[in-house]
Parts: sequence; structure tokens; C-alpha cells
Amino acid sequence: MNLAVKIFTSTKFAVAVIAVIIALSAVATLLPNGNFVFASPFFIALVGILSISTIICSLTRIAPLWRTIANPHINVSDQFIKALPYHAYLAGVKLSDLRGCLKGYSCLEASDSKEEALFAQKGRIGRIGPYIAHFGVLVLLLGVLVGAAFGYSNQYNNKIAVIPLGGSLQIADFSLKLSNFSVDYYNDGTVKDYRATVYVLDGNSTEIHYVTVNEPLTHKGLTFYLYSYDSTGLAELGQANWVAFQIKSDTGVSFVWGGALIALIGIMLSLYVPHKRIWIKESRQGVLFGGMTNKRLVSFARELDNMRSELGNADRADKTTQSGG
Amino acid sequence: MDMVAFEHLGFEIALGTYLLASILFVLYVSIKKRRLGAMGVALVFFGFVFQTFALIDRWFYAGHPPWVSTYEVMSFFAWTIVGAYLVLNIKSDYKSVGVLVAPLAFILLGFASMQPTNPTPLIPALQSIWLLIHVPIVILSYCAFVVAFAASALYLLKDNEVSAESNKPKHVERVSEKTQGGQAQKEATILDRFRLEELDELAYKSVAIGFPLLTIGIITGAIWANSAWGSYWSWDPKETWSLITWFVFVIYLHARTQNWNARFAAYISVAGFLSVICTFLGVGYVLPFMETYLGVSAGLHSYAGGDAVAGTVFFCGILGAVLLLLFVTRRRPPSADAAPSAHTAVNGS
Repeated sequence: MNLAVKIFTSTKFAVAVIAVIIALSAVATLLPNGNFVFASPFFIALVGILSISTIICSLTRIAPLWRTIANPHINVSDQFIKALPYHAYLAGVKLSDLRGCLKGYSCLEASDSKEEALFAQKGRIGRIGPYIAHFGVLVLLLGVLVGAAFGYSNQYNNKIAVIPLGGSLQIADFSLKLSNFSVDYYNDGTVKDYRATVYVLDGNSTEIHYVTVNEPLTHKGLTFYLYSYDSTGLAELGQANWVAFQIKSDTGVSFVWGGALIALIGIMLSLYVPHKRIWIKESRQGVLFGGMTNKRLVSFARELDNMRSELGNADRADKTTQSGG
Repeated sequence: MDMVAFEHLGFEIALGTYLLASILFVLYVSIKKRRLGAMGVALVFFGFVFQTFALIDRWFYAGHPPWVSTYEVMSFFAWTIVGAYLVLNIKSDYKSVGVLVAPLAFILLGFASMQPTNPTPLIPALQSIWLLIHVPIVILSYCAFVVAFAASALYLLKDNEVSAESNKPKHVERVSEKTQGGQAQKEATILDRFRLEELDELAYKSVAIGFPLLTIGIITGAIWANSAWGSYWSWDPKETWSLITWFVFVIYLHARTQNWNARFAAYISVAGFLSVICTFLGVGYVLPFMETYLGVSAGLHSYAGGDAVAGTVFFCGILGAVLLLLFVTRRRPPSADAAPSAHTAVNGS
């Protein structure tokens, strides 16, 4: 049990599973009719294992992360500040002077009789980004699962509905009436688009829909795609005798789009919102000042440099911008 | 002059200019005359302006955006790469990267010029607002991954140069290199202009742009497929390879947060580039080539007819270049007193 938890909380394990998925997928594209690979129990099990690993990795990491974000240490030791990737001693500067420079930062202060300390941070949401992304991907996978489970059980899914011109077809509790079908051509004779004019008769209501290649008809959870048409009639009489529609029922598709959107937001947050933290402490005749960020240290160092030059303290202190080694 | 002739003129000027710039850049990196590099960048810019006019012109007379046929896609892809190179050169000095970019742009345009150039009307499935959104987003993501690859390739070359340079411990070596900045004591090679951390960060920033773009590209592709074919995902080779590319960069981003070493990240970035090449050239040309000449049927629908043989040669050329890079930068057995590199990613949290 302990070992299982250890494995599933390891990022290395998740990466190894992804590597196997990559290798299998690559091989599948080289095999004739290799798509069976993606429906194989082994592949599905891999995706399942990756999902479980994602859930466990996220859950075990988010609680400690939340604690550090929610209860940051405000009054830290001098050594702590001096060990930060950016730190400086600003002589002749008061804590209150700095407060004005920290625009956009949320500040927390701690003071006792002896010393005063200030902690400022911004971009906390960026730290949650990866977990939002993981959640989105899981919602997406849930949508795929729901689509597979309920899509197959729907009696109309993947059926082909052939409707004669002028005729209609009863589907569930509504019917479709095909009133027209036309083909647009370019000047050189190639097909520009197909267009079917369809009435949806449902109870007392009648709706008109124009179905084209990129615009299917959706009604009551069923989607009708242009699938085929009677081309012999089209060539001889100038009109098709019938048009076939493919019916799809995918109740999971909204989860797929929703999950994808959530994942995208999470990805953007984690890539573009750095979590910046600054610790400031009154010390002797000045302040000790240090900061860290989880990404793009170079630009954060520049921001802090600017802050210092605003205070007229640009060249008095030492700093370390990057620790490469 | 009619619009077609103007487009071809702009295209050919760009083609010639990129070739000339390639020669200048090769001279620049071999004899290291600063002026040659500056002239190379100016030439590339000149070609870029003409190519921009050609693309806009084509958009007008073809009546659809210039990223439908193979000719258009190759040309547009070259245009984005050259554009990214020029943008990078505004703030920092990446002139010498032109030795990779200019020949690549020339080869892409040369390949494009072998394809039929007459614009064909859009088939029904392509008549969608997603054509305007999905295709350029995907190509821009590929462009960002090409930049990431260039940075990672330079990183690997530089890292090897640094470790081969002397028997001194590496950390000392790197620190002294940093503090001395541009005033290197020995004759400057093109790699001397870069710091390892800078190259690493450039690769990371490029992936940080490319990865969300690829994500949006895959999602919009799925939405488009869902509206045109009734299924958002059908595991066709193009879809599969784009997902493989996505997963490779998922590994890259996780490697960064785990503080895995930067050399490892560079290798993943190279793998991601290979995956992009498989998606871009492999699916369109190599699979049809295998189907036609080797009798291996992948059962795919390729979007553009194109020339399978030329595309496969192109693909193999890039693959060969990458393998050569990996061979040249392979880790040599560590000498007795040099510790293995402990240089870690700057961007890790």
C-alpha cells in the first residue's frame, strides 16, 4: 500500500507513463489500421493509470501548497532573506518607504517591540494553475467516458437517416422534413458547398435549418451531419432524390469542451502568472530586503532593481540575481 | 503588373534573399566579421518584407488565407520563423542564429516552390471560420517550438564546449565566464555570445508560448472536426502526432518544475521538435511515401497531395541534422576531477 502511494505520488512515474503512451501512439500511426491500439484495454488502462496518478499527485501537493500560500512566514530570519535568490541591504530606508513601492502586492505585516517585518506577494493564483489544468484534463477525460458510455447506449447513435426529397422521417418524438438540397459550385466546376434545407417538426413547433458540411443540425441532444446524397439524381435531373444524415449522440461533449477550457486557463495561469514573494525586515539603520519567484527570475530581479532605484538606493547594496551553479 | 505576378516576384525575391543571407551568415560564423552578421540580418529583413507583401497579395487574389495548400503553408511557416528571428534580434543579439534560420527559410521556400502554386478553391470541409483561426495558431506553435529547438541545440553545443574547455571544475568555469561577459580572453566563437542560462530561459519562454498555442490549436481542431465530421477525435495520424507533441512538452514543463537538470530539458525540447517535424512532414509526406513505395499502409487521409518523395527527403535531412547534433553534443566520459553537471533549470520552482 505504502509503495503504491509512493509510486502514484511520483512525477517521474507519471512522466514514464506518458512516455509509454507516446511510444505506443507513435507505433500505432505506423501500423496499417493502427487505430485498434487506442481502443485496446492496455492503452485505456494506461490512460486510467495516468488519470489516477494525476489525481493523487495533485491532491498530495495542493494541501501543503495551500498552507504555504495561506499562512506565509512574515517575520523570517536574516539568514533566510540572505539565502533568497535576490537580496539586498538598503541602508537609510524605512519599512514605510517601501510600502508605497509595492504596487499590486498584497502585504502582511508583523511587528513586536523589537523588530518590524513586512511580507508582500502577488500571483498566488499562478501556483494553483497546474492543479486547475489537471482538473480540466480530468473533466475532459470524464467527458470522453460519458460520451462513450451514453453515446453507445443511445439507439440512434451512428445510425444513418436517409430522407427522400420532400419526405420526412420520424426520430424519437420529432420528425425531420427534407424540403430542399442544393449544391453550390465554383466557376471552375468544383463543389463549393452542399446545403440541405430541413424542417424540424416537434409537437406544434416547426423550425427551419440549413445543414451544410460545417454546420450540422442539433435537436434534443441528437446531431445530424450531412453524410451522403443521391448523386445520380443530381447529375441527371438536377436534384437529389434523397439525402443521408449521420446521427450522433454525445452527451459528454460539453464536458470535453468545458474541461479543455478549464485546462487551457490552468495552463495559462501556471505559465504566465509568476508567484512573487518579497520579505522585508527592519535591520539596524535600514532594511533587509529579499525576494523569490517561481518563474522568470531575470525579470523579477529587474523589477526589484527598479524598486530600489525608486528609493534612491540602487548601488549601495549587493545582490545575487541568478544562481546558475 | 497583375497580382499573381507580383506575388511570385515577392516570393522569388524572398527566396533569393534568404539564400544570399545564408551565405553571409556562414561567412559570418566562420570569419567572424561583425559587419557580415549585420548585413545578413538586414537581408533577411528585406526578404521578409517582400514575403509579407507576397502573402498579403495572395490572400487577396486567392480569396482565402494563405495557409491552405502545401505551397502556402510552407511559405507561411518560413515567414513565421523568420519573423520570430527578427523579433528576437530587436532586444538581444541572436544574429548568429541566422546561420540556422536563413537556410531553413530558404529550404522551406525552395520546397514550396516545387509545389503547385495555383490557388485551388476551398473544398466544403475547409470553408469554416476555424480555417482562419486553427491553422495559423498551430503554425505559430510550431514556430515557437522551432525557436525552442534552436535555443536548446545551442545550449547543448555550448554546454559541451564549456565542459570540454578545461579540466577546471565546471562551476568555477561558468562563474568566471559570466562575470567576464563579452570580453572573452580568447577568440570569440559564435557560442561565446550566449550564456547557458539565457539559452535555457529562451527555450523555456518559447515553450511557454508554443504550448498554450498548441493546446488551443488541438482544441479548435477538435471543435472543427466535430462540426464537419461529427466526431471531435478520430485518432488520425495528424491528430495523434499533434497529441504526441503536446505530451512531449507536458514532460518538458514537468521537468522544469521538478528542477530536473537543464540538459535533460534541452533533450526533451529536441524530442519535441522531432515530434513537430513528424506532425508537419512525417504525416503529410513520409506516411504516403511509405504507403506508395514500401507498401506499408497507414490508412490515412492526407490533406495535401504534395510530393511524397521530396517531403520524405526533407524529413530525413532534418532527422539527420538532429542526429548529428545529438552525436556531436553527446556526453563525453567525465574526466577524473570534473563533477557531472549540476546546472539546474533557472525556471524551476
